Formats: sequence, structure tokens, C-alpha cells
Amino acid sequence: MMASQLQEALQSLPENAPEPIVKEIFSSVLFKVLDFQQGEIHPEYTTGRGPVDYAIRKTREDDIFLHTKTNPWLLVELKGRDVNLSPDAANYQKTVNQLKRYLLADYTSSCQWGLITNSIHIQLFRKHGRVVHPATPCLSMDSSNVDEIASLIKEKIDCSVKALTIAVYNNKGGVGKTTTTVNLAAIFTLLGKKVLIVDFDPNQQDLTNSLGLPLQDGDVYKALTEKSPNLSNAIHSFSLTEKRTGQVFSFDIISADKVLAYDIEEAKIRQEIKINTLHKALEKLKTQYDYILIDNPPNWRIFSQLGLYAADVVLIPTKHNNLFSLENAATAMKQFIPETQKHKGDGTPVPLPVFFNGEKMTHPQLKAAKEAIAEIIKLSKKEGHNLLPYFFPKWSKSTQDTHILEIPSYANIAGSAFARIPAVYRDKTAREYYKGLAKEYFLK
Amino acid sequence: MSNFSDVGNLMYLYLDNIDPGSGTGTPEFLIHAAAHLLNQKGGRNWNPVIVKEVSEDKYEVIGNTFIYAVAEAAGLEKVWCIIADDSDDAAELSKVLAGEEIPKVNLSKASRDEIMSALQYLIEQPGSSLKAVKLPVATNRIDESPRQYWKNLNEITKLKCGITKGKKLDALKQVFYLTPEPLPKTIKDPAILNSLTMTELKKMAKERAIPAFGKMKKPEIVEALSQ
Repeated sequence: MMASQLQEALQSLPENAPEPIVKEIFSSVLFKVLDFQQGEIHPEYTTGRGPVDYAIRKTREDDIFLHTKTNPWLLVELKGRDVNLSPDAANYQKTVNQLKRYLLADYTSSCQWGLITNSIHIQLFRKHGRVVHPATPCLSMDSSNVDEIASLIKEKIDCSVKALTIAVYNNKGGVGKTTTTVNLAAIFTLLGKKVLIVDFDPNQQDLTNSLGLPLQDGDVYKALTEKSPNLSNAIHSFSLTEKRTGQVFSFDIISADKVLAYDIEEAKIRQEIKINTLHKALEKLKTQYDYILIDNPPNWRIFSQLGLYAADVVLIPTKHNNLFSLENAATAMKQFIPETQKHKGDGTPVPLPVFFNGEKMTHPQLKAAKEAIAEIIKLSKKEGHNLLPYFFPKWSKSTQDTHILEIPSYANIAGSAFARIPAVYRDKTAREYYKGLAKEYFLK
Repeated sequence: MSNFSDVGNLMYLYLDNIDPGSGTGTPEFLIHAAAHLLNQKGGRNWNPVIVKEVSEDKYEVIGNTFIYAVAEAAGLEKVWCIIADDSDDAAELSKVLAGEEIPKVNLSKASRDEIMSALQYLIEQPGSSLKAVKLPVATNRIDESPRQYWKNLNEITKLKCGITKGKKLDALKQVFYLTPEPLPKTIKDPAILNSLTMTELKKMAKERAIPAFGKMKKPEIVEALSQ
């Protein structure tokens, strides 16, 4: 069999080829295979936070990227073979952070994809608003699989998915998972996004109840056990008219299914529903929504497993005055999420930085919480997990910044459940807090 | 740059030839304790004073004034200095980089993140007058306001985010400045319209020949003008 262009390129690369040589020999061929033409690739593109190696966009009618230099779509950060990009190397983390910085810079807001490679390893990242998450694991390339990898990447970047799927999870109960889910969905809706909520906690059904919606009578169960799972029939709409302006806000919800809670044993559910079933079922809905939020139960059993498997990112609410909520967050990051990633094989789900959800805190309380977190981070490091970016996202060696986002909860937020209306629609301050969360984590 | 220029050089200069410039407001204790340490540890200031040359052999401090004050208190005859160029930019930059002045953010163009971190900085200052300000509320309100047209920072007090005229607004003036754009001729953005007074709105409605504006309430007139 004839060697393909990419195979040839890989074979002709010297063992320790530095960056310019990898650029010259490998990347030019890779871009061709990914179907990018000459006017579509801009080297050394100014992002606003340093130049990225390549920015790429398809030509749209008269709009040639190389000339207009507007709306880049894919950023590529290239390294030489002398830079180790295997996932446990220090340089890998550095390169990923570099790519993230470029993707979130001022002039690259239109970007949807980011790629890092040194011709030995390659990884694709997807950007959705402010979230950058892996779209493939960090893949190791050689001439036997390079064509396969290139076509996988091409397939991914050719069909951009609209929705970001967020699982709201903490193994500890009572940290505000449901409150977060409902209010985040409500605030996304206020900001003009299309949102679907999945109440995947059939035993508690709190989310469904908090909106005053009826439980499903077997529709979700039926949809998930069908040959090709389809949830469209289980979707209900929650809508609310603002009294003053007459504006209607509505989001869709798949409410909790009582059949899953009471009528069937978990062992039996396991026999019928596979870990990837929810993921598959939501796949079809991803073109219709901007955000899909999954509210998970506080345990690590079948529903949370399905919920996390289906997600791109995991949002973990914690309480500053509850050590267990912090420790459980760490357990999810060290154990449950990596386990799911391994099973799923596309690098997701990834945890988002934790935030404090709960009573207003005093200085000494904050200090105590941070000390506890520092201890958790230290212990995890000994076990080989780096949790720093998930607890202290702003921390760097030079700044030592340990700020954590807070959403103070107060009577009005909790009390809204009685009115069956999300707090952000009733309370101005709650609205600002959740808008802050949405903007800090998700919206560009 | 000519070969005879000292700009960028590290030089060992006589304290007598250096003018302390605007001076430092550092407490006496810090200066004297540091001077004592400097003498004890060999008398070499490893962090240089930043100076500019004002005339031949005459210099003026533009950054690290604290170190100058310490050297003076320690009774040093000479001090290590870096010569910066004689521009206002260099002076401003040195002061900011030496941590002597707070850098300012252009609020007309700042991103949400910049506004938030500036407010957070102010709120977390010891004894801050902004302690009671809710960070997410203030950030959102300022971020969403038509601040590109603001002519002065007093507009912030109208946002009802806990920042009132006086101490609180003055604190904000430490970190924000404005480079306002002129208002567009026909304004249709409800956010800007809402920030105007009824008189201004009515004047605008008259110019745009909106029927029966005289009887309209503010929300209605804003609605009509934003069409």
C-alpha cells in the first residue's frame, strides 16, 4: 500500500525535530488533509494575548481570511518534537493553558476549536462561550494511526454542535445542585439562550417539584430503553410571563420519571440502560439548544454515572462551611470524573472550578475553608492528582491568587421554591448573582 | 540612542546628586527598620532606584522612592540606580511597576473581567468604604451600562449598586478613568435612553416627531424612541 501524505511527512521528520521543522514538514500536510486551502491559514495571528502559531477559517464567498483577518475559527499551537506533550508532562499543561489563553483572548471570540500538536501527540479542544474542553483525548500519533486521527479531527470540526452539556454534581447532598440548575437555566433563558434541563434525580424529584411540574409516568424510562433512544416525547416546557413587560421566558425540561424511582429496581435498570444511553439520547437534541443542564443525585450510582457520561463539563457547587462538600468535590475530580473520561474516550467530561454556594461568610470562615482546600490539594498531589486549577482557578506561582466565586444564598433564593418559580425571576439580587455565575463560567 | 547615553544603565550615583522627586509616604518605621537592615547586610541596595537625568550629573527619582528614602536614612553616600529615559510615560510606568501608584483601567472600554477585578481589589482593601458593595451586582450593573458614552464617573451612582457619591465614588476614581465617545445622533439603545432625563427624552421625541409624546411616561417614551 502506498504511504499517505501524512505518513510520509511523519516518517521524514527527524527524531528531535524542532518547531520550525515540524511546521514546515508536518503542519502544512495536516492542514491540507483537514481540507484547508492557502488563503485560509494565517500564521502568527494576533489574538490580543500573544500571537498563536496558526489561525484558520474557511473562505466565505468574498471573505478570504488571510486578507480580512476577521473571525478566526480554529487556532493551532504547534510545538517541536523536543517539547513533550504527553498528558502527564509539565509542558503539556503549559501548552494547554497557552491555547486556552489564546482561545479566550479579545480577537478570537469567534473561535470554536483549538488544536495542539508536536507531531507525536495531538489534541483537539472545543470552545463554547468561555468554556474550553477537550474534544479528543491527547492522542499519540505514529504512521499507523495518523490518517485515522486526522479524519477523526476533521469529522469533529466539520460538524460543530450547538449545545454545551453541563452536569451539576456533588456527591454531597444539600449543596444547592437543584437551586443552581434551575437558576442557571433561568438566567440563560433571560439572556436569550435556549435551554433544556434534565431532572435526573428520580428519587428526590426536587427540580420538577420546585417548578410545580408533573412527574413523568414512564416516558423517560421508555425513551431510554428504546432501540434508538429518543427523548423528544418527554420534553415539557416551563414558561413564565413577566408581569411588568409582558415578556415570556420559557425553557424546556425533562422532568423526573416516577417509574425510574419506584417501579423498577436499580439492578434491573442496569440491565436495560447502558452508561452511554443518556449521552446518545441527548445527542439528537444538541442541535436545538444552547445549554443542556443535567441535575444529578448526590451519590455515585446509575443516574449520576449516566448524567456525568452525557456531559461535556461538570459544575460542582460546594459549601464553604461544609468540609464534606469540598472533600466530595475532590473525590469526583480524582475518581468519578476520570473514570467516566476513561470509559467515554473523548476527553470529556471535565470539571469546572468549584464555587461556594451558601450562607454569607466571614473572613475567618473563608480562611478556614481555604486552609481545608489547601490541605485537600496537598493530599491529592501525593496521589498524583493536580486539583489546583479546579479549586483555585486564578492561582499561579507568581500571583498565589486564591479567589473562589461565591453565590451567597439567602432566604429569598430558598423560599422561591414555595412559589414554584426560579429565584432569579423573583429577586433582583439573586438575578445579579446568577448572572455573575453565568458570565464568569459560561458566557463570552 | 547614542553611545554616550546612560539610559538603561545601572549606575552607582551620589545621593547628593539625586532629587527625591515626589517623595514617598511610607511610614517612618518601615524606612528606619529597612535602613537598619540595609546597613547590617552590607549596604548594597540590590533593588535599584529608578531615576531620570535632568541635567548633567543631576538626577530625579521616578520610581522606587522608598529605596531612596531608605538609603538616605541609612546614611549611604552612594546608591545603585537605573537610568530611565526622560519621558512622562517612563515616569508613570516606573511608579506603577514599583507598586507606588495604582494602575487605572479605561472604563469606557474595559471588559467585564477587568471591571470585576478592579472592584474586587477596592472592596478587599483594608478599611475599604466599599465593604458593603455586592461585587456581582456592581459588576453586572456597571458592565451593562452605556459606559462608553459616560462623561464622568458620577453616572455610577445612578446604577443603584450601592456606590454613592462621596467616599465610595472617590475610591472608584482611583482605578477607573474614561475616554468617552460622543453620543450617536439618533439613540435607539434602551439602556442609554433609560439613563437620560425626561427633559432630554422629550426633546429627542420632539426632534424625531413622535406623536403624543407629551403624555407618555418614561418607559413608554423609551419604548417609542427605541423603535
